Amino acid sequence: MTRLPRGLLYCGLLVLLCIVGYASLTLGYKLYTPADIWGLLTGASGEAQIVLMQYRVPRVVIAPLVGAALGIAGVVVQTLSRNRIASPDTLGLNAGASFAVVVASVGFGVSSMLGLSAAAALGALLTALLVFAIAAGSGGLSPIRIVLIGVTIAGLFSALVEVVLTVRETMLDQLLFWLAGAVVDRPLSLVSTGGPVIIVGILIAFLLAPSLDILQTDDQTAKGLGVPIALVRVGAFASIALLTGASVAMAGPVGFVGLVVPHAARAMVGLKHVHQFIAAALFGATYLTSADVVARFVIYPLEAPVGAITAVVGGCVLVVLLRRRAA
Amino acid sequence: MSQAITAMNRRAYFFVGLFLILAVLMALAGIAFGSSWVSFDRIVTVIMGAGEKTERLIVLQLRMPRVVIAILAGGAMAVAGYLLQKVTRNNLASPGVLGVIDGAALGVVVFLALLSDESNSLVTSIAWQPVAAMLGAIIAIAAVFVLSGRQASSAIRLLLFGIAVAAVAKAAVMILMLVGPIYRTTQAARWIAGAVNEVNWGEIQVTALGLAPVLLLTLLVARRLPPTDLDEVSARSIGLNLPVFRVAIFALAAALTALAVSFVGGVGFIGLMAPHMARMIVGRPVIPGLIVSFLLGAIMLVGADFIVRVMFAPVEVPAGTVTAVIGTPYFLYLLMRKDRTNG
Repeated sequence: MTRLPRGLLYCGLLVLLCIVGYASLTLGYKLYTPADIWGLLTGASGEAQIVLMQYRVPRVVIAPLVGAALGIAGVVVQTLSRNRIASPDTLGLNAGASFAVVVASVGFGVSSMLGLSAAAALGALLTALLVFAIAAGSGGLSPIRIVLIGVTIAGLFSALVEVVLTVRETMLDQLLFWLAGAVVDRPLSLVSTGGPVIIVGILIAFLLAPSLDILQTDDQTAKGLGVPIALVRVGAFASIALLTGASVAMAGPVGFVGLVVPHAARAMVGLKHVHQFIAAALFGATYLTSADVVARFVIYPLEAPVGAITAVVGGCVLVVLLRRRAA
Repeated sequence: MSQAITAMNRRAYFFVGLFLILAVLMALAGIAFGSSWVSFDRIVTVIMGAGEKTERLIVLQLRMPRVVIAILAGGAMAVAGYLLQKVTRNNLASPGVLGVIDGAALGVVVFLALLSDESNSLVTSIAWQPVAAMLGAIIAIAAVFVLSGRQASSAIRLLLFGIAVAAVAKAAVMILMLVGPIYRTTQAARWIAGAVNEVNWGEIQVTALGLAPVLLLTLLVARRLPPTDLDEVSARSIGLNLPVFRVAIFALAAALTALAVSFVGGVGFIGLMAPHMARMIVGRPVIPGLIVSFLLGAIMLVGADFIVRVMFAPVEVPAGTVTAVIGTPYFLYLLMRKDRTNG
């Protein structure tokens, strides 16, 4: 298969992202005209601009951020576990982060965004460690088994979230929608704390890219080539935890993005991690933004949680991957 | 040889009796405990048709429905799990992981969404709800097997297909719930986790009437399930048309799960754990294995509901969470233990 020149590909994805972002601004329960958007850019302060600023702009910012973060996290997870069906959700990281958020907010009264992000990152990290520790403890499980363990643990965490939420029923209404994963009704202020966390996670990922390239082979080879395996693993875990944690704190557990996006990225740019990351970020951003637009129309005039859309797509992709014996 | 089999059967039926007694005790405990204590002799009095008014209300309207539905649902799910594990020769199979529960949930939600009128009341009888659940369950399990194709013979891969199908069904349920009336949404979170409170006798009647023929049919079919695990060749050699037989078993398992789920919601892991224990306890014989599965499943769900009531009172936490908390480590243990032998 001949691939597009990378520069062209990235430009194309960027253009696509802009188009989808524009669509996300204009389309929805109420349609806005290009003039309204232009007014937003030039600082006009009509009624349309206020609504746009309040409701549409945050999601146009948050959706791509979360999509990019989950996409990159997915690439790192898949390389780290040498497992093509691993992702932050099939390993239970999303669920772990959600549980941490619910516990932090109900149990410890944490309400600051920074606190919740930290809790989510911690939850994701601990879950990752737990899953990999179980795998290591039983002598290196097959990729499929690791995923089964991850999914099972995810189920456990969802059950625990359920317990907390039923005990504190007042939280349920606010959190039910969030738990499905959604970018609607999020204040823009989330970005100011979630954004930097994601950027740090992405930076770590890029720093690790050359080592991850080599880690794709096997531990022996990587060691022979002078890669500090332990250090790379720790760094990769940190990056995954930051990216997943911040995403969950911002948008809830949006499912299967981290599974779908890396496959698309690899298909587009091959196995070099630097390029995988760029492609995954761009494609993930585009993917989640479009899913967010679609979510507004599936049950029009109501809105579906974007996580439900990505779960439907992701479930189908998982079936295709399994049938192709990708793992 | 035949003596050995008789001994095995005798032992098996001893356990059937034992667990029957345990189940009755558990059920009595489930009725007795709660916000106010009702002693055993007074429970018997009430069931006999006497007793004072408040006690009658507590026992007959509040406590007994949930205990009875827990027995029916837990038992049905356990039997479904037994059938699935037997016919797939897969210790990890259960209604939950094969997408059956989520498929049934989708069936119910679609049913409620399609057949509710403007004022949110159903236009048809609630008795159709289990039928909808059954339809959803059968479609889900069929999808899992059609999609997995020849990979279905690998225990572990089959489960992953189940997970994928379940994920799609779950997402669809989520979307439909948001479309539905508000009361449904607030109920929904607990319904999905599985809860036995707020069931009424009408629903129990529907469940029981549905379960009776299916369980009977299961017992009839089960007589043909040989005590050993079957592979294609040896099945044919004893004159069993395995594909057809398999489909029948799957349909039965789906029906059992659907009936259990349609009013109680997705209680996870009972369909995994109960059959396991049953096989550990009674060994190979099929009929006692099925009965002990049923009893164990019933004990587990009544017990889970009991724990929830005692631990979290006065809040009603879904009983499914307890089974999930107990079931997860168990499933992980199975996964890790089997790693050496297949996968």
